[in-house]
Amino acid sequence: MHPIIESAKGAADQAELYWNREHSIDVRYENYRLQQVTENDVSETSLRVIKDGKIGTAYAVFPDQPGYLENAVAGAQYGDPVQYSFAGPAEIPQLNNHDAKAAAMTSADLVDVCETLKEKIGKHLPDVALGIGASSTDRHLIVQTSRGADAVERTTSFGYYVGAPFQGAGIGIYRWRSGTAAQAVDESLVDEFVEWYSWGERTSTPSTGRLPVLLTPQATFLLMMPLLAGVTGDAVWKKTSPLTDRQGEQILSKALTIVDDPLQSGHVDARAFDDEGVPCARRVVVENGVLKDFLFDLRFGAAMGVPSSGHGFKRTMFGSGNETATNPWFCCPTIEPGEASWRDLVGDMKEGLLITGGMGFHSGNFPQGQFAVQAVGFHVVNGEIVGRLDKTMISGNIYQDGMNVGAVSRETAPAGGFLSLGDAPYVLLDSLQVAGK
Amino acid sequence: MKNSFSAIVSSLPASYADLRFEENRKVRIAYEGKELTQVATTLTSGGHVRAYADGGKAIASFSDPERAAAIAQATCTSASLVGTRREKKLRVAPAPVITEDFLINPPRDPRKVSLKEKLDLATHYNDLILKNPHVITTQTVYDEFTSRRVFVNSEGTIVEYDLVNVGVFGMIVTKKGDVVQRVRFAFGGNTNFAPLLDREDDLQKQIEKACELLDAEPAKAGIFPVVLDPSESGVFIHEAFGHLSEADGLQNNPSFRAKLQLGQPLGNPILNVADDATLPDHPGSYEIDDEGVRGMRTPLITEGVLSGRMHSRETAAEFDEPLSGNMRAVDVQFTPIVRMSNILIEAGDATFDDMVSSIDNGYYLVGAKGGQTSGDQFTFGAQWGYRIVDGKLANMVRDINMSGELFSTLQAISMIGDDVTFGERGGCGKGGGGPMQLNRMSGKGSPHIKIDAVTIGGI
Repeated sequence: MHPIIESAKGAADQAELYWNREHSIDVRYENYRLQQVTENDVSETSLRVIKDGKIGTAYAVFPDQPGYLENAVAGAQYGDPVQYSFAGPAEIPQLNNHDAKAAAMTSADLVDVCETLKEKIGKHLPDVALGIGASSTDRHLIVQTSRGADAVERTTSFGYYVGAPFQGAGIGIYRWRSGTAAQAVDESLVDEFVEWYSWGERTSTPSTGRLPVLLTPQATFLLMMPLLAGVTGDAVWKKTSPLTDRQGEQILSKALTIVDDPLQSGHVDARAFDDEGVPCARRVVVENGVLKDFLFDLRFGAAMGVPSSGHGFKRTMFGSGNETATNPWFCCPTIEPGEASWRDLVGDMKEGLLITGGMGFHSGNFPQGQFAVQAVGFHVVNGEIVGRLDKTMISGNIYQDGMNVGAVSRETAPAGGFLSLGDAPYVLLDSLQVAGK
Repeated sequence: MKNSFSAIVSSLPASYADLRFEENRKVRIAYEGKELTQVATTLTSGGHVRAYADGGKAIASFSDPERAAAIAQATCTSASLVGTRREKKLRVAPAPVITEDFLINPPRDPRKVSLKEKLDLATHYNDLILKNPHVITTQTVYDEFTSRRVFVNSEGTIVEYDLVNVGVFGMIVTKKGDVVQRVRFAFGGNTNFAPLLDREDDLQKQIEKACELLDAEPAKAGIFPVVLDPSESGVFIHEAFGHLSEADGLQNNPSFRAKLQLGQPLGNPILNVADDATLPDHPGSYEIDDEGVRGMRTPLITEGVLSGRMHSRETAAEFDEPLSGNMRAVDVQFTPIVRMSNILIEAGDATFDDMVSSIDNGYYLVGAKGGQTSGDQFTFGAQWGYRIVDGKLANMVRDINMSGELFSTLQAISMIGDDVTFGERGGCGKGGGGPMQLNRMSGKGSPHIKIDAVTIGGI
C-alpha cells in the first residue's frame, strides 16, 4: 500500500488512491511528411476520502504532493452523505496485456512503421494528402483502498493509422489497427484504404425521404452511444434514461446483441479492474434485442441496491482522464456479428446509404435515442457506390429505427477510436430519414 | 526556476527550443439533481518542451521537473530524427524577445473567494432550478481554473503569466411524458468572480425555455432559410470558418490551402470577421500565448474577402504571413496548437425584425448546443427554435441539428444584425493532429444573422 493510504486512515474513515503513470511515444506524418515526434512521461493521481460519511476528492501529479490529503479531507466536509464504501480486496483477472516489445519501442521504430505505410500507400495514391501515425504506450495503473483493495495493472498499447481527405474535401477515409502487442503492418489495411478512398472521388446527393442505411463498424456509434448513455446506472437511477424500468423488454431488433467485454485479450481498451478497483467482468447489455442489464459503479449500484458491475470509470461521453469524476461507463462494448456479407447488403440496395460517420452527433438529443447528423459515407444506387455523400443529413431514433434492423454482417472491424468502442459488424437499418436533394 | 529552465533550453543543440512549466489549480463543485457530487481541488504541475533541430520538430511533456534537462536533450535527438526525414525543413518565424510578466489581478479574484462561498453560490442556483416541477434533474457546476506559467525559449524570452477562468454553468433537464429536454446556462467565463453573482433572472429564463420545449414539435428535415441568434451564429463562425482559419490545419492540406489564399472572396461585402485576444473580459482574452507571442487582433474576413489567418511561429514562417499569437495549450500534458481567442462576426445594419420578415418558410434558431467541423463541412445544434411562417415567428421547435458546407454558406449570409453579443462560456475541442484538447478559453461573438439555405436534420 502507498503510504498516503496509511496517512489517510488517521484523517478520514476510508481512502482510495488512483495512480496512473504513462510513458508514450507518438509519431505523426502529414501529407506524406514526418511532422512531429511526441514523447510523454507523465503521472496523475486522484484521492477520494470518506470522512463522517461524506466524500471528498483531490487530484495531483504524485501521491506525495504536499497538501494532497488535506485537500481531499477539506472537500469531504462539504460533500453529500455517501451510501457506499470503497472497494475491498478481490481477485483481479489476469489479462497479460503487457508486451515487452511494445514497451521498448523507440521513436525510430515507430518511424519505420510509418515509412512502411507511406511506401505501400504511396504506390497507389501518391497525390493525396496522406496522414500517417504510429504510437506506443506503457501504462502502470494502481488502485488501492484503505479497505484492502490493491489492484495493479501494467499494460501496453501499439497502434497505427492512415487517413486522407478526399481531393478538395474536408472529409475522407481513416483506418487504423491497434492492440496491446507490437505487430507488423497489416497488409489488408492498405488494400482496404485504397479501395474505400477510390469510392469518394465523386460526390452524390441522395433523395430526401426514407432510405435503407448500412452503418459501417465505424458508424455504429450512432446506435451505440445513445444506447450506452441509456444503460448507465446514473441515467437509470435519475430516470433520465428512456430505458428506466424496461429491463426484460424488447428495445431493439432481435438481430442485435450488445456486450461489454473488458476482459478481451489484446484489446487496447481491455481492463482487469475499473477505476474504483472493482474487478471487471463480461456483461450482456442487450440480448437479441432484449434489455438485459445496466452498468453500475459503486455509487449508483448502492443507490439501486445492487453491487458494482465493475463499470466505475473516469470516463464520460465527451471526456476521460484523471480529473473526470468516476461514474458508470462502459469499457469495451461490442455488437455480436451476424451472418450477412456487407458487400451483398450493398449490392441489394436500390437506393441507399453506406455510412462511415456522422458529424454533430453530440449536439443532438442523444440521451433520448435521437440523432440528426451530417452523413459521412457513400451513396448507393442499384447496388453500386456512385460517390461520396454531399449535402446529406440522416436522422432518427435508435429505439424506433433500431427495431428495423434488416441484417448484421459477419465481418467485424474496430468501431471507435476516441469513443473506446470495441469491434462491431455492419448493421443495416431498413429505413432511415434522409435529408438530401 | 525561470533561470534554470532558461539555461536548459539555451544549451540545447537546437535551432530553436522552448520550455513551459506550469502550476495549475482547479476547483470544481458539481451538483447532479439534489446531490452534491463533487467538491474537488486539483493541484497539478509539469513541463512541456519543444525543440526544432536539423529542420525537424519534437515535443515532450513531463511531470517531474528534475527530469527537465534529460527530457529536453532527448527531445532534441528526436527533432533531429524528424529533420533527417524531411526535405522541406521546419523553422519558426522571428518573434520579439519578451522579458516581462503578465500576472492577472481581476476586480474580484476567484482565487481569494472562499470555498464555502463558491459552494453556496452553486447550491443557490441548483436549488432555484429544482424548484420547478418539470425539472427531473440538473447539472450545476462551479468551475475555476487558474494557471501560473513560466515560458522560456532559446532566444532569451523569459515570461511568467497567469490564466484565470471562472464560471458557473450547467444543464436544466425537464420531462413531460416521454419527452425529455435539456437547456444550458452559463455565467462568467472570464477572470472575474463578480459576474457569477445575482443571475437569478437569467437562470429563470432558461428554466422557462426548458419547460416550453416539452410542448414543442421536432424540427422538419429539409433545406430552409434560417435566422441564427448570436449564440448560434457565434458557434457557426467558430466551427465552420474559424477552424479553417487556423493555419496548422491548412499547413499540410494542399487543396484547402489553395482555396484559402489571402485575397480570396468568401462572402458578401457585408461580412467582416476577426479574431481578437485583446477584447477585455471574454473567455478567450489574454496578453500572451503559450509560444511567447503577444495576443492581438487579427482580421480574418474584411468586406467578404479573406484577409488574415491565425498562426504559430512555425506556420507563420511557412506561409510567410504575420504572427498572430494564437498558440495555446490547455495544460501541461499538451503542446500548444493554433486556436481561436475570441472570434466574432462584426456588426452589420439589419434588425432582427428585418430578417424574420424576409422569410416565408424557415426557422429562427436559438442557443448554441455544440458543433463539429471537418474541413469545409460543419454540423451544429440549436437548443430550441421557432418556425418562421409568412414573415412571422410561429410555433416552437426542438431537436434541431443543421449542416452545410462552408463556402456556399458564407455566400448565403445575406443579412447581418447590429446586435453583437458574446457568449459567456467559452469552449472549443480540437486535436490538431494530437490528442483532443478541450479549451474553455475560446470566446465567440456575433449579431443575429440570416442564412438563405442550410440543411436541417429532423423528422
